[in-house]
Amino acid sequence: MSANAAGPWYDPDHGVIRDRGIFSDPDIYQQELERIFARAWNFVCHETQIPDPGCFFMSYIGEDEVIVVRDRNQRVQVLLNSCPHRGNTVCRAEFGRTNSFLCSYHGWNYDLDGRLVGMPGEDAFYRSGIDKSVWGLASAAQVASYKGFVFATMEPTAPPLEDYLGWVGRLGIDMIAAQGDMVALDGVMKNRIRCNWKLAVDNLFDWYHVKVSHGTALRLNVVDEAGMAPLEQMVMLGAYGHGIGGPGISEQRQREFEARMQGAPGAPEWFDPFAARRSDPEIRRVLGPVGSRSFGHPNIFPNLWVALTRQICLRIPRGPHETELWWFTFLPRNASDAERRTTIWAANHMFGPAGLLEQDDGENWSHSTRGARGHLSRRLPLSYSMGQGLDRVMRDPSGQDCIETVVNEHGQRWTYRCWQEWMQAESWADLRERHSIPPTDVA
Amino acid sequence: MRYEDLSPAERMLLRFEAEEFLYQEAALLDERRYEEWLALMTDDIRYWMPIRRTTTAREVDQEFTQPGGMAYFDDDKRTLAVRVQRMAVGRAWAEDPPSRTRHLVTNVRVLGVDGAEIRVGLNFQLYRTRLNSEEDSWIGRREDLLRRVDGQLRLARRHIYLEQTVILSQNMSSFF
Repeated sequence: MSANAAGPWYDPDHGVIRDRGIFSDPDIYQQELERIFARAWNFVCHETQIPDPGCFFMSYIGEDEVIVVRDRNQRVQVLLNSCPHRGNTVCRAEFGRTNSFLCSYHGWNYDLDGRLVGMPGEDAFYRSGIDKSVWGLASAAQVASYKGFVFATMEPTAPPLEDYLGWVGRLGIDMIAAQGDMVALDGVMKNRIRCNWKLAVDNLFDWYHVKVSHGTALRLNVVDEAGMAPLEQMVMLGAYGHGIGGPGISEQRQREFEARMQGAPGAPEWFDPFAARRSDPEIRRVLGPVGSRSFGHPNIFPNLWVALTRQICLRIPRGPHETELWWFTFLPRNASDAERRTTIWAANHMFGPAGLLEQDDGENWSHSTRGARGHLSRRLPLSYSMGQGLDRVMRDPSGQDCIETVVNEHGQRWTYRCWQEWMQAESWADLRERHSIPPTDVA
Repeated sequence: MRYEDLSPAERMLLRFEAEEFLYQEAALLDERRYEEWLALMTDDIRYWMPIRRTTTAREVDQEFTQPGGMAYFDDDKRTLAVRVQRMAVGRAWAEDPPSRTRHLVTNVRVLGVDGAEIRVGLNFQLYRTRLNSEEDSWIGRREDLLRRVDGQLRLARRHIYLEQTVILSQNMSSFF
């Protein structure tokens, strides 16, 4: 019955992508929308973006637009932005406040919880021949917040959010959430890159590209070379594809790094997002003994990157060859003016389409996508073998098992391995049954 | 001296001066003479492009983020200098091979005069091509503050209001 492609596309035994079509093929892409985005817990917004009843923020699950709105009972609703009458959108703003969602086509009107509450001509034209209770906006099967970060899944059989995230996903979000009573700042940077979404995800685990891709930023001391490309790396891998990869730095190295960052050009003052992890016992407790030593990049599968700049970046698919990047920035509610200025300074200057760090990334990702489109290039393998078979998992009594090593491709291999399992699973039950146990959980 | 109180001839002269500056400045960018371009900025330059969002007509006052908040550009002279140096030190992949840009400046209006400063509003198009077939076009409005320093006009503030909400480009590595 299913016309789905079965793969395998990725060869986990050798760390090789055998079919580059995973970055370009329209059928594989459609299957991702069905088997990954329509099933996964997707980050949709932060609770502070919709503080009061009627506040909404427009977000996406795959290519489907969803309205994230606080209803009259303070519950967060995630509603598909498509009128069941003709499919038209019922909301066209990126955010705002409203009393209801009125379809601009014929005037069907929906309450904040998605219930159809009225339409023109209900008596005169429909003559009581329509049951409004069955024609509400479709809503997410499950909506949940982890420490203010709101996720939704369209799949009723998905496990609860905290189970889905597992300790690695929760730790990833804690890296921002533990810094205080975090508030999302006004203004989400959005831009489009002509790349497959997975190449953007792949890159966040990649501490190999820094010296070349971001060579200019290093040469101009926009970012610190010792801090951005250290030898010591830590990797933590979680069930269903979550992962954290990047520097694990000793206290000594941390101090050196911070001293150098004081001189970052233009920074009015340098807030120290890392010092708190060392010194604040509460943050250390939340992040755990291993997690508090990691200064890596978490990815919440499938597409949410937690950056070190108190920012998160969603990689929203826009077809097999295009991805929209959304940057959200956070601050503790009680941040000092100096802390506020420096957080915003770093966010405005590092990332986004004009970011001194990020502007050089897009072209690499788009050309990698191009390298998956040609008939000849598509069938050539891609190498993901760095560090494969060379590292051991260190068990920690806390349960935070990790790999401590040098620059590696463990995170990318784990992502594609899990991606393939999602793509091959017939259902959530099937995925639960067959998904790989993270290697960090075995001796 | 209020702009409204000036004679038509004085206004023409003022706008002519502003236009000469703006056209020359645009030419420096299109000719990739970035160091010379940077020299036209005052030491206290603020170069700012807020984030624009689609809102309902009722909430259109929230269309742009505010100064001091999130922005695509929020540069002072030091960070503008870093962007200029990027072009020269190598490995600035977004600009190597270099983009080809054309700055069109139009609808120039003097909005006000205050001592040595002229506030200018204008519309612009920044057209860019890269490599063989990549094409970007940014259209928007600018509000520039020009200041007379030692008899020469310099740019003291630039607010850039793009028409795009989602930036339809993989980067903005050009100067506006």
